[in-house]
Amino acid sequence: MKKIPKRIWTAAALCLLAAAVCVYLGITFSSMWKDQPIYPGPGVTAVEMLSDYNPGLKGTHGDTEVYVLDSGKPGAAVLVLGGTHPNEPSGVVAAVALIENCQPKTGVLYVIPRANHSAFTCTDPQEGAPMFFTIETPGGDRTFRFGSRATNPIDQWPDSDVYVHRTSGQTLSGSETRNLNRAYPGSNSGTFTERITYGITELVKQRDVKITVDLHEASPEYTTVNAIVAHQDAIELASWASMDMQMEGMNISIEASPTNLHGLSHRELGDFTDTLATLMETANPSQGRLRGRTNADLVVKGVDKYYVRARKAGSVTVEFTEAGIPLDERVARHICGIEQLCNAYNELGNQETIELGGLPSYQEILTNGIGRYLSPGK
Amino acid sequence: MDIELLVLLAMLGVFLIGNLLLKLPVSISMILGAVAGALVAGEGIPIRHLFEGCFTYVDTILIISTAMLFMTAIQRSGALEALNALIVTKFYKVPALMLILLMFIVMFPGMITGSSTAAVLSAGAIVAPILLKIGIPKERAGAILAVGAIMGMAAPPVNIPAMLIAGGVDMPYIGFEGPLFLITIPCAIFTVLFLGLKYCKNLDIEELKKDLDMEVGKKYGFKLYIPIVLLVVLLVLTRAVPKLMPQLGTPLIFLLCAVVAVFTGRRFNAWEGGLEAMDTTIPVLAKLMGVGMFIQILTLTGARGYIVVSCLGWGLVALYIAICTIMPGFGAVSSYGAASVMGVPFLLVLLDTGDQITIAALLSFICCLGDLMPPTALAGNYAAQIVGLKYKPVLKHCVIPFLVCIALAVIYLLNSKYMGFLTR
Repeated sequence: MKKIPKRIWTAAALCLLAAAVCVYLGITFSSMWKDQPIYPGPGVTAVEMLSDYNPGLKGTHGDTEVYVLDSGKPGAAVLVLGGTHPNEPSGVVAAVALIENCQPKTGVLYVIPRANHSAFTCTDPQEGAPMFFTIETPGGDRTFRFGSRATNPIDQWPDSDVYVHRTSGQTLSGSETRNLNRAYPGSNSGTFTERITYGITELVKQRDVKITVDLHEASPEYTTVNAIVAHQDAIELASWASMDMQMEGMNISIEASPTNLHGLSHRELGDFTDTLATLMETANPSQGRLRGRTNADLVVKGVDKYYVRARKAGSVTVEFTEAGIPLDERVARHICGIEQLCNAYNELGNQETIELGGLPSYQEILTNGIGRYLSPGK
Repeated sequence: MDIELLVLLAMLGVFLIGNLLLKLPVSISMILGAVAGALVAGEGIPIRHLFEGCFTYVDTILIISTAMLFMTAIQRSGALEALNALIVTKFYKVPALMLILLMFIVMFPGMITGSSTAAVLSAGAIVAPILLKIGIPKERAGAILAVGAIMGMAAPPVNIPAMLIAGGVDMPYIGFEGPLFLITIPCAIFTVLFLGLKYCKNLDIEELKKDLDMEVGKKYGFKLYIPIVLLVVLLVLTRAVPKLMPQLGTPLIFLLCAVVAVFTGRRFNAWEGGLEAMDTTIPVLAKLMGVGMFIQILTLTGARGYIVVSCLGWGLVALYIAICTIMPGFGAVSSYGAASVMGVPFLLVLLDTGDQITIAALLSFICCLGDLMPPTALAGNYAAQIVGLKYKPVLKHCVIPFLVCIALAVIYLLNSKYMGFLTR
């Protein structure tokens, strides 16, 4: 019998090892494909799908739940987007807290907690991010996914070298091709990501949404943090809301949506629909470039020694102490901001009003933690 | 001492021991360094992170692989030799102009794709034989290609590090053309004349013709150049009229043009050519995968944050020193990574010192120079391969052009407040 060369055995052994690693990794990565449960609170009257507004999304990973919290009384419609960027976790947690607690008294609240559903199913290479983080609730831990800034490449790939925004012709780095917040107003014949934003734009148009709030986070070193970014038509609304937020003890600024930066929700929804388009940013150390060790603790507790040093050196403008910027505080800012935007809309004398009820205050969330206001699950 | 510093030292130490003492390939040494860092940080062997990191450059890997196939195809079809003969016979009387034109040819694919690798492997492969035939030594010719490709990568309209830096601060990628042209064109002209001019005086065309294949061009005519023309047309059209032209992507464009080259010139075995192309490029692709793992572990363990915060904490003068040294040095890992990890925080610190777009453009230019940094040194690696050398002698001749580029960039940075008119 002919002797098999040693190198063949080596190659076979390496192939077997690679296959074993692939199986292990397949199981690891597929754990992100399971949607974490959301427990509709007493205010939820219906759960629609985004494919109801863009049928092209049906059966794809871009389809996502739209929670409807209808007061049953006439009033304005408001849309809240969480999870545009799943690596900015305060957005999705705030959206879930709205779904599980809010009971509107007038008008209708629409909440999309996983705006880019596909981006929840992967993490970003080079970021060393955790796949999951947990929040303590009175009934036990509640797990959330920490996803990617962009659509999963399984759903949209390859990226072009340069991303050309469809309606404006603006060019951006090709890495923005799968960024939901560079794809507005979208297109029903466009890329996977553009079809999602088209669905959201259609929802805003069909439901005559008066206010849109897109929940985000940014690196603490970024210039636009602890801010409301507002389309020019929404500046007055955002200004009123920010004053009320400041009275509650928050440091918040107003940024006008740049007219020459396209594809963002606050620019395109403001331009292409009648909604008052706003976006809120909090400071999230787990996505910053200056951060130290990256793990679920950093996501939830927001404590980072390098940001403390950078703050002392003047490289970070946002206040960053040894106490960090915990998720509780970031979610509290979002929930309070949404409520104050609605209050400001009412105060500005609009005939149709939107009154949100059942929400914890900023101070209550800081004191009790956001876990206190999340369903413990089953 | 911070644990992150220990992690960093462990990663670098294991990498150097693996590469220099044990003579392991760079890629394997980087993987070992990454594993060592994770172990020191108490993360065990994080297989998921190592795997995720190795996929970071999958798009770049596709571009390199297909560009290599294209280069091999046009070499074997005879298109390269014909083009060399054409350029030399037309321009040999004005060598300085010829050199500058050749440099612009090297730059062109980089300007369109934003990739120095694409520039070296496409236009670099066309220009290299000409440089060698007119008498420029191999190592200097390689240096011209490497620096030229990087100037193309940094020049407008497509400068991906600039896009990454601008995107990191929500700055539209508008108005970058002026500052980028002002830095890349003088640096490119200086480099090619400094490295090549003294070898090109008094060219004897009859002597040159002996080394050139003057027949292949005559035999196949214009048909021979179709793959190169098609490459230029497709690259330009996808950028110039993006709404009309489907976005084929650079890898598919290279692949299509390589297939066309099989039918437009000398007959050759496409399968063998493809195997040879992939055989020569696999070590660099492996390096990119190793680099991806290395960065992922740097980030996971906090060593990346340690590096960036240390640079930011040194004050403005030291910051400029870091911009000139650590930022291009990070290019040894990845120039795109340097733009994203260091370019953005550096820009934020420098925002108030001058014109913001000019500063972002200049930082992106310095990041691009990182493609000369070993061990990856993408531009240097492939330029050396094209002229038939290892990359060390080529990189040696890149030192002076590199220093001139850095010096000019710093002069511009310090005076950026007077350069705002270029961005309007």
